[in-house]
Amino acid sequence: MFLALKELQRAKVRFGLLIAAVALLVFLILFQQSLQNGLLTSFVGAIRNQSAEVLVYRTDGRRILQGSVISPDLEAMVRSSGAAAEVARIGQGTFTVTPGEGGDGVPIETSILGYEDPGLGAPTTLVEGRLPEGPGEAVASDADAELGFGVGDTVTVLPGGLDITVVGLARDVQLNVTPTLFVTYDTYVQSVRSRNPDAGEPLPNVLALRAPPDVPADRLVDQVNGLSDELDTLTRADAADKAPGVAQVRQSFQVIFLLYGFVVPLVTGLFFLIITFQKASALTLLRAIGAPARTLLTSLLVQVVVVLGGGLLLGIGLYAALVRGRIGGIPLRFETTAVLVWTALLVAGGLLSSLFSARRVMALDPYAATTGAGVGS
Amino acid sequence: MNVNGASVPALSLQRVRKVYAMGDSEVVALDDVDLEVAPGEIVALVGPSGSGKTTLCSIAGAILSPTSGRVVVAGTDISGFNPKQLTAVRRDLVGFVFQSVNLVPFLTARENLLVVDEIGKRTGAPARARADQLLGELGLADRAKNLPAQLSGGQRQRVAIGRALMNDPKLVLFDEPTSALDSKLGMAVMELIQQEMKARGTAAIVVTHDERITRFCDRSVHMDDGRITKS
Repeated sequence: MFLALKELQRAKVRFGLLIAAVALLVFLILFQQSLQNGLLTSFVGAIRNQSAEVLVYRTDGRRILQGSVISPDLEAMVRSSGAAAEVARIGQGTFTVTPGEGGDGVPIETSILGYEDPGLGAPTTLVEGRLPEGPGEAVASDADAELGFGVGDTVTVLPGGLDITVVGLARDVQLNVTPTLFVTYDTYVQSVRSRNPDAGEPLPNVLALRAPPDVPADRLVDQVNGLSDELDTLTRADAADKAPGVAQVRQSFQVIFLLYGFVVPLVTGLFFLIITFQKASALTLLRAIGAPARTLLTSLLVQVVVVLGGGLLLGIGLYAALVRGRIGGIPLRFETTAVLVWTALLVAGGLLSSLFSARRVMALDPYAATTGAGVGS
Repeated sequence: MNVNGASVPALSLQRVRKVYAMGDSEVVALDDVDLEVAPGEIVALVGPSGSGKTTLCSIAGAILSPTSGRVVVAGTDISGFNPKQLTAVRRDLVGFVFQSVNLVPFLTARENLLVVDEIGKRTGAPARARADQLLGELGLADRAKNLPAQLSGGQRQRVAIGRALMNDPKLVLFDEPTSALDSKLGMAVMELIQQEMKARGTAAIVVTHDERITRFCDRSVHMDDGRITKS
């Protein structure tokens, strides 16, 4: 400890720079983790955080809510099969909407998602207000509250001029990175007709199912998929995770995380290896005058822990301070789980990488001190 | 195993042999060497380069193990000691001043002395008092907070002497202690070594090829080709 702390004290700049480098990398990892989660939530949060545990798409809809259209015969097939305890419609479309007073008044593309049964499609993460109870009411994503989708704001669907009042806000319920409104199915139908008065009765995009008691969602999925090749039934989690683009986004970020996961221990390991080489003479001298290898290893480990700990604290502090608000409509937030997981991974990786330096320390031959080869001023 | 008492030699080497394997052949660095150093005695070990002086010193100081023979330091037979035990001998019984400048660069003069306590008994306050006392005796009280890079060559060597005395050793090994110093400073350092050793009754071996050094020692031992040729 004495040796470790004295060296840290005398080489503040050197160790400070390494701590700063580790902190920067930690910040980048955590920030990108938030970005990934924010991006995925903005794409499919409305699916992940709604109440229906099973969703039935039409196969040719390619798991895109708006692209899937359930025909009356398919709907009848599902309803008559008796596989689900309850079946309800969900409709979804993208509309041009003039936001409420809180916004800048510029029309904005908005997803409107209508559900027949609050237990089969309503948002589950209400943070303010209430669910819609009648026509012309909506729950909006809280990420869009400041854009004119706050509680009490009235938005207008263009071009028909249908007014919808926001009566509640839910967390993480965006769809396709657009402001999202959850409305009753009737309001959804009115929205479609407001935009196109000639439209007839719009067909549902997906069917929401509730499994009978004692029937797990997975079994219900298999049963409904067995009814027709035209039906693509998914659990809520799968519907979110298997939406087009989600896997690719996740995979891209995972490659980046993997690289960072290697870079931090590599930087730490190389740094300590270099300074172990640089101070080999002093370490050899210490071995020659009777310092046990264990003492020198402890000193090395203390320094590794100080560098990693300092870097993590600084990086997490920076992350906590800067990961607020939104980037291009994508909400960012402090991810506690990511912080804990990455802290454990980076500490383990850093300690593992310091094994190279530890091996070097163990290999020091005190005899080198007598030849001058390992001794310096 | 450890026998305390004034009559116990600080060092006893009996038929010590050190052989290095060099490919298929062997190099005999020490060839059946016998040497005894009494407590408080200062012995000059003189000889040309490659004569085995440093190897002898390294074996006496528990840095190397002999191929055969018996090595007894202050009554402790260390001949069969494992590396861990040898480390303890270096820490507790022996002091070293190496040929090159030999201080830890990121520690101050005082800390270079205190490190001996840190890697050993960790006595704390008594060690700090001893370090201050030694630095005072060596004329370095006002340099206690200086890093080695801020000290002159002679001052660094004096700090190294102080460090060698920190653990109150029975035997101090000086390997060419004046080789990095000019003649005048070298003689001053030797005078200091003589004073310090005699004042403490500590035995010392001074490895040198400079005959002028021998006048500061009680006797000279000459080496050549791994053998003691004159004692």
